Amino acid sequence: MARIACGDAQAFRRLVDRHAGWGVSFVERMVGARADAEDLVQTAFLRVWQGAAKWEPAARFRTWFYRVLYNLCMDHFRANAEPTEDLDEELPDGQPSVEDRYAALQRADRVRAAIAARAARQRAAIVLCYYQELPQADAAATLGVSEGALESLLSRGRAALRKSMQHELH
Amino acid sequence: MTNEAERFKACAQAYGAQARHWPAADQALHAHFAATEEGAAILAAAARTDLFLDAWNPSPVERALADRIADAVLDEQPHRRRMLAWSAAAFAASAAFGFVVGFVQSPPDPGADLMTLFIVGPAAKPGIGL
Repeated sequence: MARIACGDAQAFRRLVDRHAGWGVSFVERMVGARADAEDLVQTAFLRVWQGAAKWEPAARFRTWFYRVLYNLCMDHFRANAEPTEDLDEELPDGQPSVEDRYAALQRADRVRAAIAARAARQRAAIVLCYYQELPQADAAATLGVSEGALESLLSRGRAALRKSMQHELH
Repeated sequence: MTNEAERFKACAQAYGAQARHWPAADQALHAHFAATEEGAAILAAAARTDLFLDAWNPSPVERALADRIADAVLDEQPHRRRMLAWSAAAFAASAAFGFVVGFVQSPPDPGADLMTLFIVGPAAKPGIGL
């Protein structure tokens, strides 16, 4: 970060290369659309580039960047009362039939819709702990809650998912 | 149900069926109760939710995306600096133009010194009592 603060573009490129992938994955699961996720991650990196001189290493960069991305997601939810529902995933070419692929896309869309229907912090707790596999302490720090509160968010979130998707689970 | 069994159930409901998602301090409970009939049933219920969550698997992020993001951010900076420089230049030019127009339209007071004329202009002098 010290080199980035001095305007080292190569150091910045290495940082983006290391963190853009997981950043987009996290934000896509939060906001539900790849294009929005890429825009938000780009905004986050713009803030890194502009604010590198003020960076104070109180936490690991990844932990801090999760927090930046999470806050941008919250801003996004406030600005867009209804997140996009477009289905834009593409399954890699492979053996499954068209019907199987369609069924998989439909199932994925139902999961996405069920997660999107949860309150933002429940959604974030599930995405951080289940999909991103963050340690509980880091996930709790990202959300600004205690580890006990994180566990409560997870329990309520997963219970609601079970309830809303019972026809999928049985 | 014992405290440990309750904790096992709470972890399964919060973190799912796989031990690697559980807090490190509770992973021994997973190993202990997974072999019991009741524990296996609790984990099976949690695994159904995991399976449901696994159905949403967004396409992988391609490596070129990092380059695109870095390019966009690095291109943004000179663009913003150029915009700021142009704004400042335009403001300075319009201020200078206004001053010159005002200066030319009003004939200078022969008694005024050059510095006063330059600072306030000839037209403004009567208005401020000079």
